[in-house]
Amino acid sequence: MPNQPEANNWPRWFDPRSRSLGTFGFILNRVTALGLTLYLLMHLIALGQLARGADAYDGFIALVKNPLFKLGELLVIAAGVIHGLNGIRIALNSFGIGVRCQKGTFIALMLIALFIIAFFTFKMFSEG
Amino acid sequence: MRESLSPKRLEGSGRWLLKIFTGLLIVVFLGIHFVVNHLVAPGGLLTYADVVAYFQNPIIVVMEISFLILVVIHSFLGLRSILLDLNPSPMVLRVVNFVLVVIGAVAVIYGAWLALTIAGRG
Repeated sequence: MPNQPEANNWPRWFDPRSRSLGTFGFILNRVTALGLTLYLLMHLIALGQLARGADAYDGFIALVKNPLFKLGELLVIAAGVIHGLNGIRIALNSFGIGVRCQKGTFIALMLIALFIIAFFTFKMFSEG
Repeated sequence: MRESLSPKRLEGSGRWLLKIFTGLLIVVFLGIHFVVNHLVAPGGLLTYADVVAYFQNPIIVVMEISFLILVVIHSFLGLRSILLDLNPSPMVLRVVNFVLVVIGAVAVIYGAWLALTIAGRG
């Protein structure tokens, strides 16, 4: 029996067996979506420091230069790149473009994503 | 496998299309947002004074608010798609719709207020 998602059988969501590459693409898109939505709300709340004036905002920026925050920012970049590139494929496939080669496109886009994430990792953590 | 390409049940083609189009526009806007915020300003917009100066350009204010609206529409429609996969009852779905619209509207109003407040401090 294929491993289909069902609301009342949620432990099975975490079972990676009998899943196709497309399902992993789907899962990756959903997980990054949740992360990016959480970041959007955090970003809006954090930028609220701007309304409190120069001292509040500059103090906040000093705090986020901490490596732990940088790691969080790197996760946001990774999620954004993966979700964005995979999303372009989904949009094209939705209009019937490249449906036959979607597996290859997915793999190619995720390799590009890995390359971009590696670039940002190097750039963010080499500047100190 | 044709079903997997069709819009999700209960989502409706209009909302699905809106999600696709806002997604594509976000790729463009995010690129601009990223380049302008991190590359055009030397070293990035890392101080309060830099941000206030940046928001003096009305095009930037319009662009940032438009970007926020697109992101909120896309992310909240996406969140709804994920919740639809949990097969909510019509009653639960009504509550979900209401909560998402309220949080989304608050996020847009708050973000626009913030952008205009910063623009007004120049």
